[in-house]
Amino acid sequence: MQRVASCLTALLLLTPATFADDPARELARAIDQALTADWARQNVHPAPQADDLAFLRRASLDLVGQIPSLEEVQSFLRDNSANKREKLLDRLLASKQHAVHLASVTRTEWMPQSLGNFRLQLQGTEFEAWLEAQFQKNAHFDEIARAILEAEATVGQRGMIDFGNRRETGDKQALSAFYVVADGKPEEMAAMTSRLFLGIKLECAQCHDHPFAPYTREQFWEFAAFFGEFTPLSPVAPSFVGPLLPQFESNRITIPNTTREVTARYFTGGEPVWKADRSPRRELADWLTVEGKPLFARNLANRLWAHLFGIGLIDPIDEPGEANPPNHPAVLNVLTDAAIRTKYDLRVLLKGIALSRAYQQTSRLTHPSQSDLRQFARMPTKGLTGHQIYDSLLTATGQSANILKETAQNRRFAANEAQGGTRGEFVSRFPQSNRRTESATSILQSLMLMNGKFISSLTTEEKNPLVGRLANSAGTSREAVELLFLSTLSRYPSRTERETFELYLESGGPAEDYSRAVGDLFWVLVNSTEFLLNH
Amino acid sequence: MSHLFPHLSRRHFLRAGAASAAISVSGWLAPLARLTANDAKRKRSCILLWMNGGPSTIDLWDLKPGHENGGKFKEIATKVPGMKIGEHLPEMAKWADRLSLVRTLNSREGDHSRATYVMRTGNSPMGAIHYPSIGGLLSKELGDPKSELPQFVSVAPQRLFNPEAYGAGYLGPTYDPLIVGEVGFNRVEQSKLEDILKVKNLERDPGTSAQVAATRTGLLQQMQSEFAAGTPSSVASSHVSAYERAVRLMNSSAGKAFDLEQEKKELRDQYGRNLFGQGCLLARRLVERGVPFVEVTLDGWDTHTDNFSAVKTHCGNLDRAWSRLMTDLKERGLLDSTLIVWMGEFGRTPRINPQGGRDHFPAAFSAVLAGGGIKGGSITGKTSADGTEIVERPTSIQDFLATTCLALGVDYEKQNLSNVGRPIRIVDKSANPIKQVIA
Repeated sequence: MQRVASCLTALLLLTPATFADDPARELARAIDQALTADWARQNVHPAPQADDLAFLRRASLDLVGQIPSLEEVQSFLRDNSANKREKLLDRLLASKQHAVHLASVTRTEWMPQSLGNFRLQLQGTEFEAWLEAQFQKNAHFDEIARAILEAEATVGQRGMIDFGNRRETGDKQALSAFYVVADGKPEEMAAMTSRLFLGIKLECAQCHDHPFAPYTREQFWEFAAFFGEFTPLSPVAPSFVGPLLPQFESNRITIPNTTREVTARYFTGGEPVWKADRSPRRELADWLTVEGKPLFARNLANRLWAHLFGIGLIDPIDEPGEANPPNHPAVLNVLTDAAIRTKYDLRVLLKGIALSRAYQQTSRLTHPSQSDLRQFARMPTKGLTGHQIYDSLLTATGQSANILKETAQNRRFAANEAQGGTRGEFVSRFPQSNRRTESATSILQSLMLMNGKFISSLTTEEKNPLVGRLANSAGTSREAVELLFLSTLSRYPSRTERETFELYLESGGPAEDYSRAVGDLFWVLVNSTEFLLNH
Repeated sequence: MSHLFPHLSRRHFLRAGAASAAISVSGWLAPLARLTANDAKRKRSCILLWMNGGPSTIDLWDLKPGHENGGKFKEIATKVPGMKIGEHLPEMAKWADRLSLVRTLNSREGDHSRATYVMRTGNSPMGAIHYPSIGGLLSKELGDPKSELPQFVSVAPQRLFNPEAYGAGYLGPTYDPLIVGEVGFNRVEQSKLEDILKVKNLERDPGTSAQVAATRTGLLQQMQSEFAAGTPSSVASSHVSAYERAVRLMNSSAGKAFDLEQEKKELRDQYGRNLFGQGCLLARRLVERGVPFVEVTLDGWDTHTDNFSAVKTHCGNLDRAWSRLMTDLKERGLLDSTLIVWMGEFGRTPRINPQGGRDHFPAAFSAVLAGGGIKGGSITGKTSADGTEIVERPTSIQDFLATTCLALGVDYEKQNLSNVGRPIRIVDKSANPIKQVIA
């Protein structure tokens, strides 16, 4: 233990003075310090660093949702600069693909019911497009939360809430998703707000006092009252059409099955000073980053950590409490502070976490103390989503440029198998999970990858440019095996793998056909555990 | 199958099964039924009919005709004097002597997600522990790990409310269900039901010869072991194990169990040409072949508006399919060794809301046990005249699951190792099973 601690201290002392200037690097250093102290205290031996290609693959999957292309692998290998990993992170975070990936993951996590449900799909996909635009311009998380909460609503014909004329384009329609997915119910909106922006699952307190947290039923409904304007206004004159005036009445709600009406209050205590020109939802949006700041920042910190590691520092993400304390409170505090100081800048925070020692570790087990994933002493292995598998397959064939050319709408609609084509099949068969470090592979998933039409097509020259290239090149079978491994597993083959695979290519396989043998090897590589997981 | 007919090979049985199309039911099935029923070595099976959305049990099993909460439906008499059920289950009324009603289930969970988890695992969702679904627990106790057929099959589930409640939790992925017919919210084409209920991608791609497939799989197995050894993780083990099970299923003839086109057209009509009806037929085929736990989902019970027309429609499909299933199981000598469990995540409010609907109501609702292992014609528990309160014998999900275990001959105090290192019993020791309804 002493040796470990002193090695790490030595590493930290070597860091250059400029480290402190860059907020992401500063964050990484602070995370390292806090985590190292925890490890030393608990006699945990952290795993060594992952090699460059392992890091490249992991960062690509996490930040842009697909494995690196052959060209990216070869170029990263050739790069001799000292800060190549940092440059990689900058490039990935600034890319369009990052915005697309993060938007897809976020929308799926926030609104799973908008995926397959044809009633909610349109708004869900528009919301995803809106999120993409926000991430593309690096909108900070508080701006995103505010935009959602302050979405303008009007009362249309027959008292139905409307989010702008159908003919209008732009944010109004997209943001309505939050409210439509909540079925227009204030209690659902309050529950979503609390879960997604504060990291607290409040809805247990809807019918009775919360079983494990100190929130009463009354407090839940007081929070729901911030969305009081969505309670059907009764009676509404049939001809009434117009914007809802900021109203005092819209900050009240009647607790169901009672006659008790409550006024909006924050469930952590206190209420706004009500003003006629400030709507309750606006007050709520402001509160998030003022009195609500500790919860808002901590939630963001935890979710971003969970995105990269597969488990949050508080796990499950939305049930903090005495029964569920954070695994590394000091690390969480560091990250929460950084969230506040950077004003909720997602790119800086993601970069800081990805530069940390913990994120750079190998996933190989090198000491028994690394078994408990919550120690983050080695990189947890995570399952892949349908999008990631599909995109990685295309990339492995040398067609990654096609991914962004595919219409954005098709991508966002893909969760509905009937409409989404091949991508849709993958997205349905490999649903996004909240517990990626425990995702179980099913028989059906295995069958799809072994026997499915799409995979079978990828063993042919016609549908797989990589197979075509290797089958018709003048290169050796040794080179072909290398390129196969670099394209699919983003690494060189081991000696045994070289021997076995080269021999197989030269024999031509059962069909005694070199091209078919190349296809067979491609099949083997993309069906391997190593290809199908993020490690 | 060998434990069923030790002197008959499986091929013999399957050939005989195919021939049954040409022979009348009474002619051939009766002797087979007697053979099956008398087979002491046969372990019991469980079919869970899962009513997704929270079924309005006050309109099906525990009507309140004297009260305004009673709503539109009438009670009807059943085969059992004193047992009355809702008018839209007339065929099930004829099976009343094989039903055990429990009218006083209750839980604290009125939220779809939490309630689904509680009723399907027996425990509230709580932080670290990943409780297995009942299917996982029971198929582990009743199943044969060497069987080529998965021992836990989930037909047409709608998992959106709580996907974790459909898995094997801490038992590990070996006990996860094989899922067929999961259609999400897509429209179901009635003419394609047999395809929807098949195991997808079970057959090799037509362009791949058996030899090529075997070679590929061999190479794959070599690669898997190296990676899994160096980078151990639960996701990696799950992946390797799933592949092995998939290959086993592919190479066996067990997949034919999912081929509904082997059944007579008239029989398929009798089950009802809808996902639930054909799903029940599939359940019977799987139970026949020794699968110990099959669940079939009927979705659409979340009737916050217009409760009565929706419930009437669902009852139509339910009544037709379930009664046909009972008949089929009986004719094949399987009813005494098969327990059918009917339930949903909660019931619905006695008070009818202004949209003619009923809302979530976990405080008092019904579930039903049917078939083998229970005393048919029995009723447990009593609710108040207005349906809002339990008057006699409140039954928790733990009590109900313990009862289910007893009916299946499973020792519910048996322990499994959980993911937090603590051994956990199938059902709490403190559970109070309804011993009076155990046969």
